[in-house]
Amino acid sequence: MLNATDLMVFYENMLALNNISITCQKNRITGVFGANSAGKSTLMYSLSGIMLDIQKKEKMAGGERITLYGQLEFEGRDIMNMKPSNRARAGIVLCPERRRLFSESSVIENLRIGGYLATKEQAKVSLEFVMALFPALTKLQKRLAGFLSGGEQQMVAIGRALMAQPKILLLDEPLMGLSPLMQATLIRAVKKIQEESDISIIVAEQYARPVFPIVDYAYILENGAAVMEGTRDELMDNPDVKSAYFGMS
Amino acid sequence: MEILVYGTINSVSLALMGLGFAMVYGISRVPNFAHGALYIICGFVTWTLLQKLGLPYGLAIVLSLAANGILGILMYRLVLIRVRGMSISEIISSYAIGLAILEGLRYGGFRGMTYTLPVFMDGMVVIGGVPVDYHRIVMVIIGILLVAGLWLFTHFTKLGLALQGMAQDERAALMLGIDSDFMAMLAMGFGAILAGVAAITILPLGNIVVESGYHVLIMSIAVCIVGGLGSWMGAFFAAFIIGYAQILSVVFLGSHFQMVVALLAIILTLILKPSGLFGQQKELEDRV
Repeated sequence: MLNATDLMVFYENMLALNNISITCQKNRITGVFGANSAGKSTLMYSLSGIMLDIQKKEKMAGGERITLYGQLEFEGRDIMNMKPSNRARAGIVLCPERRRLFSESSVIENLRIGGYLATKEQAKVSLEFVMALFPALTKLQKRLAGFLSGGEQQMVAIGRALMAQPKILLLDEPLMGLSPLMQATLIRAVKKIQEESDISIIVAEQYARPVFPIVDYAYILENGAAVMEGTRDELMDNPDVKSAYFGMS
Repeated sequence: MEILVYGTINSVSLALMGLGFAMVYGISRVPNFAHGALYIICGFVTWTLLQKLGLPYGLAIVLSLAANGILGILMYRLVLIRVRGMSISEIISSYAIGLAILEGLRYGGFRGMTYTLPVFMDGMVVIGGVPVDYHRIVMVIIGILLVAGLWLFTHFTKLGLALQGMAQDERAALMLGIDSDFMAMLAMGFGAILAGVAAITILPLGNIVVESGYHVLIMSIAVCIVGGLGSWMGAFFAAFIIGYAQILSVVFLGSHFQMVVALLAIILTLILKPSGLFGQQKELEDRV
């Protein structure tokens, strides 16, 4: 449903993404793993179109020159030059790195702002879905998002993205800085999103281990290039992957 | 009692002047230095519609507010959209537009003391031994309704919530499908309309003169800096602080100290608490 072919992104002359082709099928969870600066966030920004906004702002301020090449196709439509707000409208919603909540608004307001694209009916259904997914948020509705713990904030961030009626949800480092217990809770929630809706999910993470059990297909990035890809079982059996990403030999 | 009554009236008129500026800055981060010009031009447009074309007062008000909104939107679409995100260019270009409008009006013949708008209601009432005319009371009511309306709008409507989201993190809002350029344009339009509302409620109390455009700009900047840039609730409270301080200075020092108080408030705020009374975004970030 989402196909990126030969995606290349340059920051000035630095190659941030090198000929990456990735595909995400309907209602599948796709993993993107790689170390810091491997290009995970750049990839997520390129898929969601935020890169176009960054490019525009940099150009206006006379900053870095950012160039994008390649093809991007969503549900059979070419979206390479589509504005980020229209991509969100089409169903590609990014839940960004470091969450970026509206910290001066309450939890419920964050979710309502997320529901900007939803109709009243959709928003109601989605809100119930989010509350069932993260029961912990029910009690926190009136709290300011900025005062929540990291895990709770991540729940709000995922919930807010779900409110925007995504067809494909891009999760950029959803587990960053969280305790193993919280990581497990969130991973269970992501799995549940896949089971109980027909949303496709792409998860970018630095540590593969907690996410690996739920992905259907995964890509491993190194220095902006996809060095390996395969289904979960294929990658699990690969000795290189085992040693590099699971600490097993 | 005199201080209380006139302090409140003065504060509300300051709040009316500052709200539009605070709102535009809060949402689109564009410091709209043409705010004073938008204020004055709305006054002159209303005057023209009313006195030259002979339209009924209510219709003239609605039309000139709409014209002001369109002017704000055009300002954004044609000029500010290209410099948004670069503070210095934003200030220079919006100030230049403001100057062009104000001085243009002056050369266009809008000079002297002959331009006045009628008050909404004649007559006066005595509150606690202080005579107050009806128009000033109407002004206070409009100010309070406006703040209450804005609060409801930003907390309970989809558009208001989207504007709030964009004010806090533009890119995060973009990820949720909130088109930031469109929202900034709307904010500019709303800001211009708020400037117009301020003009129409305040101007009938005096003459419409080009110079008061600069005065309004200075007062709205003072209110916004003391209240914390970007926080329009802060601007509202700051309007009350400065408003009462001004009236106190008039009573105890002399009327020419009014402006000094406002300027002093800017300087003191910048020295003691540069983020302003309610500009606490940074603090919140530090705590988390």
